[in-house]
Formats: sequence, structure tokens, C-alpha cells
Amino acid sequence: MNQAIQVEGLRQRYGDFEAVGGISFEVGEGELFALLGTNGAGKTTTMEALEGFRPVHAGEVRVLGMEPYRDRRALRPQLGIMLQDAGFFADLTVAETVRHWRGLVGAPREDVLELTGLADKADVRTRQLSGGQKRRLDLALALLGRPRVLFLDEPTTGMDPEARRATWEIVQELVADGTTVLLTTHYLEEAERLADRLAIMHRGRIELSGTVAEVVAGHGDRITFRVPDRVPVAELPGLAGAAAEIAVSDGRAVAAYTVTGVQRPLYELLRWAEERSLELEGLQARSASLEDVFLQTADGGAR
Amino acid sequence: MRLANLMWVVRLDLTLLWRNRTALFTVIGLPLLFAAILYSVKGQKSAGVDSALYVGTGYLTYFLVFSVFMNLVNVFTARREDLTLKRLRSGPLSEAELLGGSALTAGALYLIQAVLLLVLMGATLGGRVPADLPMLLAGMLLGIPVFALLAFALSGVTPSADMAQLTVLPLMFACMVGSGVMFPLDGAPEGVREAARFLPLSPLVEITREAYFGDGSPGSYARALGIFALWAVLGFLAARRWFRWEPRHA
Repeated sequence: MNQAIQVEGLRQRYGDFEAVGGISFEVGEGELFALLGTNGAGKTTTMEALEGFRPVHAGEVRVLGMEPYRDRRALRPQLGIMLQDAGFFADLTVAETVRHWRGLVGAPREDVLELTGLADKADVRTRQLSGGQKRRLDLALALLGRPRVLFLDEPTTGMDPEARRATWEIVQELVADGTTVLLTTHYLEEAERLADRLAIMHRGRIELSGTVAEVVAGHGDRITFRVPDRVPVAELPGLAGAAAEIAVSDGRAVAAYTVTGVQRPLYELLRWAEERSLELEGLQARSASLEDVFLQTADGGAR
Repeated sequence: MRLANLMWVVRLDLTLLWRNRTALFTVIGLPLLFAAILYSVKGQKSAGVDSALYVGTGYLTYFLVFSVFMNLVNVFTARREDLTLKRLRSGPLSEAELLGGSALTAGALYLIQAVLLLVLMGATLGGRVPADLPMLLAGMLLGIPVFALLAFALSGVTPSADMAQLTVLPLMFACMVGSGVMFPLDGAPEGVREAARFLPLSPLVEITREAYFGDGSPGSYARALGIFALWAVLGFLAARRWFRWEPRHA
């Protein structure tokens, strides 16, 4: 597979602050790659380096084989860019905005307003759009030029669930047609649904990357339950060698075990409860989710 | 730079200008108000010529301050802060095309006003055909890029579109009073007069007025052009130093 995006040892600074501290990844043509991370993890800075907004401080970045900042004249027409925060001219209507932007691209798509569900808002001034509608117009403009590489920086923020699902479908169709997509998002469900591969960033570094299954693997399975009132936390059993981690949820102590394989530890737990005639409320046993991995990473580095 | 891209920016600028009352007032209202003053001073004398023509020849380049300088400070400060500048920059246009296209719009609006003013002066104020038309045009045309550069620089240190109404005032008044637009500085002390010649508009007022009345000499033109060249360099350096594409808080 040809690499549409190559990042090797990228570092990016703002003054003394190092926003991105040496990251590497590649995105193949027709692949959707997601960058996850808390605010300030360096996702947007990485996107903007790849979009050619400013020269890189150190390292190598290539998009479609070109250096994004130096070659942006040749590269930009092949990119679709949906920034996290870009304004619209408040006095233009939706249709006028699209009409103006159409003048910038060679063979514009004609159906972007229908595609993004904004056709009935065509005559509305952009200042009157809701946050979610603005995101859809953002997407419409990014798609006008039939981009080979699409950058989506938190594309569904502010959308209602229905619009979010519709956006996911649009993106999935684009990827199926061969568009390469680099996505950042706060919604882990979005990454799980869309991403072929993903990377979790934390403080300017990539802590974990791979497919969802690869990223989640090795983070164990989870057994959780609410600690019964009459059991002191110190008396909770160890399960297959794992000790309970206690968290408080809704004023109740919740015990969580991270184990490998749930059958054996669950049996031990149930036998322990049976012997003491305890009812384990909210008992759950499941594989680690992307959310578990994400929270662990955001908590201060992957295990 | 591609002409098609520059023209795209011009079309966008004109559409937005037409919908923005404040900007329209700066670009069309203020020049009209100032032009009306000419009729009230007609018949008086300034520096040996009819005051209407003296002031009118001052306006020929002073209108740069409205349509190019104030207009562009407004446009670029407002667009930077509402993040539309960032959006424009995410498209296929180069930075030079974005800056150049808006300077072209502003410059064209200014030139239309200056030409109308020349016609008005000739038709209704007893004016003449400019004695040295090429020099007159040179003075007008040279002003556009330099006042655009000064506007780019000032927009970079102006925090908001509202503040842009204020930050443009020092240069606006300094040029109006100090560059001899409305009245000669004959009464001022020699030092003040000499310093005032170094304001950015002063050399342009000298060139266009002398070119209009035909009392310029190669020496006086060269001196004025020299001072103006200094402002071209300063404007370029200042714009490079202070102009910003992204909001000041980012």
C-alpha cells in the first residue's frame, strides 16, 4: 500500500513550549487513521503541520509525497481540510458560502449541501447556524474539491447523535471510495467505528498505536462490582493474583479488577460471595474497552 | 500569484464590503463627506491657488487613508479574530494572494475615487488637466502597496475589529494635519515642517500636488520619492514583523 501520509520524528514548538515531541506514524492511501488524546495532547498541532500551516521544527512530514509547507501550492488542491475552529463570513448565506468556495476548486462536487443535509438551510446566513450545522458546512466545504486526503479535526463536535451518525456514514463512504482520512476526535465511539488504525497521544507523544484490537490487547479484562455495605474494603479477595482497585461512584465504593481472561477470576469471586451469602450489585465482566485504555493513557502514560 | 485567484479574493471582498455598513461608510461615506468640504472652501486661497484645488490635490492621495489603510486594518483584524482568515488560509490560495487580492480591491476602490475627484475638480471646481499626468499617477499608484503594508502591520497589533476604529486614528490625523492635505504648514516652525515631511503621506501629497499644478522639479520629486522609499521598506519590515494570521489569544 502506498503511504499517503508519512510522519517521522515530528517536533513542533511554540516558543519554549514543545507541543509535539517527536512522533512518527504512517497512513496508507484509502486508510482512516485517528489521533486520540486529551486537550493539549498535540493532535491539532500535528494536523496543522501536515496541512502545511507552518514549517516543522524538526523531523520529516510528507503528504502524498510532498512537503506540506514548502509544496502547499501543489498539495493544497488535493487536500480537504476541516479545521477545529475556522470562521464563516457571517453575512453570507450557506449557498453563497459554497458558491464562493466552489470558485477555488477545479472540478467541484455539486452535491455537498445535499450530502451534508444542509440543502434546506441554503438561504440561511451562516451567523444563524447552530454549532452542529456549522460543522456540517465545514465538512461540505472540505469535500468540494474531491480531496485525495481529508483532514477532519473533531468533525462531529456539537452535532446531535443523528447528524453524527450521518457524518460517520459520509466519511465511511469516502474511505470506501479511496479517500485517505486523518481524524482527531474526543468521541472514542467515533474512533472505534471509523478508524482502521489509531494512535493515542499524550503530552506531545504517541503512547500507543495500532488497530483498535491491537491497542486494547494487553490491557486485560475488567471485573467490576459495587462493594457490599457490610464488607470492609480490606477484606476483598485477590482474584487470580489481581488486587481490587477501589473507586467511588454515586457515593458507593466500586471494586475493579484488571485480569487476563474472566472465567477463572469470576469463579473465584462468585465462590467468595456465595460463602459469605453476599449479593454483588452491578457485577460486570468484560474486555478492556478503548475508553479504559484511553483513560489509563491520559492518566499518565500507558502501562 | 495567479490572476484568477486574486480576482477570487476581489469578488469576495466586494461582496462582503457591500454587506458591511461600517466598512461601506469608511470606503464611500468618508470620501464623500470630505469631498463636500471642497465646495465650502471654493474661492479662498491656499498657497497661491484656489483652496478647493489645494485641498482637492491633497485628497488625491489622502483617500488612500480611508479606502486602503483604514479599510484593510478593519478587514484583516476582523477576519483574523473571527477566524475567517484561518479558513481562507486553509484553502488553495497562497498567503501572497490573500494579502494581494485584498490590497488590489482596496487599491481599485481608491483609484476610482481619485479619478472621480480629478473629474469633479476639473468639471466643477475650476481645475485643470494635470500638468504631469504620469507623475501624478505614479504618486497615486505607489501609495497603494505601501499603505496596504502599513495596514497589515497595524492590524497585527490591533486586538479587535472594534479597536481598529481607534488604532487607525493617529495616522489618519497625523497625515491630515501634518502632510499638508487641508492647509499649508507655512505657519509652523521650521523644525516641525521638516519633521512633517517625513510622515508617510507627505511625499505623496507633494508629488501629486506638484504634478497637478506643474511646479515640480526632478530634484523635488527625487527627494519625495526617497522619503517614500524609506516608508516602503519600513512598511515591509513592520508587516513582516507584526502581521498575524491567527487570533492574538491563540
